[in-house]
Amino acid sequence: MSQYLRDVWKCRYFWLSLVKNDLRARYSRSVIGIGWSLLNPLAMTIVLSVVFHELFDMNIKEFGLYLLTGICFWNFVASVVAGGCNCLFQGEVYIRQFPAPMAIYPLRTVLSSSFHFLVALLVVILLRWVLAGFGNLAALPSLIPALLLLFVCGWSLALLAGFATAYFPDTKHLTEVLLQMLYFATPIMYPAQMLRDKRMGWAVDYNPLAALVEMLRQPILNGMKPNVDTFSMATGSVILIGFVAVTALVRLQRKIIFQL
Amino acid sequence: MARIQLDDFSLTFRVRQNRRVSFKEYLVRQMFRESVNPVMEVRALQNVNLTIHDGERLGIIGRNGAGKSTMLKVLAGIYPPTSGCRLVEGRVSSLFDLSLGFEPEASGWENIAYRGYLQGETPKSIRSKIQSIADFTELGDFLNLPVRHYSSGMRVRLAFSIATAIDPEILLVDEVLSVGDMSFQQKALQRMRDMMSKARLIVMVSHDLGSIAKFCDRAVWLDEGRVCRIGPTKDVVEAYTASVNGAVSKAA
Repeated sequence: MSQYLRDVWKCRYFWLSLVKNDLRARYSRSVIGIGWSLLNPLAMTIVLSVVFHELFDMNIKEFGLYLLTGICFWNFVASVVAGGCNCLFQGEVYIRQFPAPMAIYPLRTVLSSSFHFLVALLVVILLRWVLAGFGNLAALPSLIPALLLLFVCGWSLALLAGFATAYFPDTKHLTEVLLQMLYFATPIMYPAQMLRDKRMGWAVDYNPLAALVEMLRQPILNGMKPNVDTFSMATGSVILIGFVAVTALVRLQRKIIFQL
Repeated sequence: MARIQLDDFSLTFRVRQNRRVSFKEYLVRQMFRESVNPVMEVRALQNVNLTIHDGERLGIIGRNGAGKSTMLKVLAGIYPPTSGCRLVEGRVSSLFDLSLGFEPEASGWENIAYRGYLQGETPKSIRSKIQSIADFTELGDFLNLPVRHYSSGMRVRLAFSIATAIDPEILLVDEVLSVGDMSFQQKALQRMRDMMSKARLIVMVSHDLGSIAKFCDRAVWLDEGRVCRIGPTKDVVEAYTASVNGAVSKAA
């Protein structure tokens, strides 16, 4: 496996420049450029926090930040899966000509999504400082393992989505439906406490995505390190999905060309 | 030392007539076994034994669909074997599907870099080559435009110039001598000659028997995925020509 990663690293100039190209192509013809990746979560946050404020009497400041973190996280997951479905077809012209490691194509997807995600996360942190002060500084280093986990998770998801789409083109539509369902099953736009109050705590406790988003929310919003349960849930599920992705890669990467 | 060896190499494509399996079909097949979308087996290469040594120039000839291009892709490591094994020593550089493999939104300059990276260049090493690559394409200011505005001829020029700018140990060539317009063809031919003299091992596919005879010292005649004949270029080309002429006169 370390040999494989070395091979991936060997063609880093290739995938890095493709990522750079993807990012630029996405914004080259738009006026506000990178602003688009922020406008979507911000607009969603404003609408949802106003609605929830009216309906449930939520504190707009606190809940707004909570929402914004969740939506940024979700946009990352959704874009990784959607991009992952396309990644092998996007790279098909290279796959047909050069025997490069197959993992670089989902890597391309996850890197460009990560870029948007990091920019958005930075804005979230800035906003939190403006709205609620610098109380979270001490806890921010715990974001590093969280981001690392998210990256591995995203890479694995993109890879699995890509391979699955190559075998079953329906995967794309199926993941859209699945993601929609998960979006409502994960405490993204409502507080996790709401589920707990209805004795649905298990839906949060056994949801890896809930654990991952908690890994971001705890340090940024509450200035606390995520608790052990959250951390082990997140790490455990990322290791599991990483393992599945590596297995798929080992078994299918040479044969996948016959499916393209 | 460059060396290529194929031992009892077979490659079978399993192609579905309706291209892909849907989930529906996958489920239906599990339940009723009878498939509405049967798999067709295409035996692209069958029990090929081939050893190419350092310093050899090998030509591959045969009819359309005989497996020539597939063979090159196998040698390049793109298709894995269905059975048998492949052994390649040396850095491989391949010239096929030339007009593919560009990022349409990126400029010609950027695409030169991308392809270069894929062929193992680094930003440092490409810097010294990029100008000569650009000069060879003769595309001038077009290189500043996104590749999606290029004509197919221009794309081929660009691809050819990039692919031939490196010094490969093993060179795999598929029908590239007919690229571009006439003036470019002559330049390309000269470039191919240079490369041919530098590369340690060359495998080349062409329908142009003249250039096979000119460039190669050994030839393989493939027919329906099998090696029909292998030996000195002259003998193989003669046998192939005789069989084609025979078939034509029989048909007439």
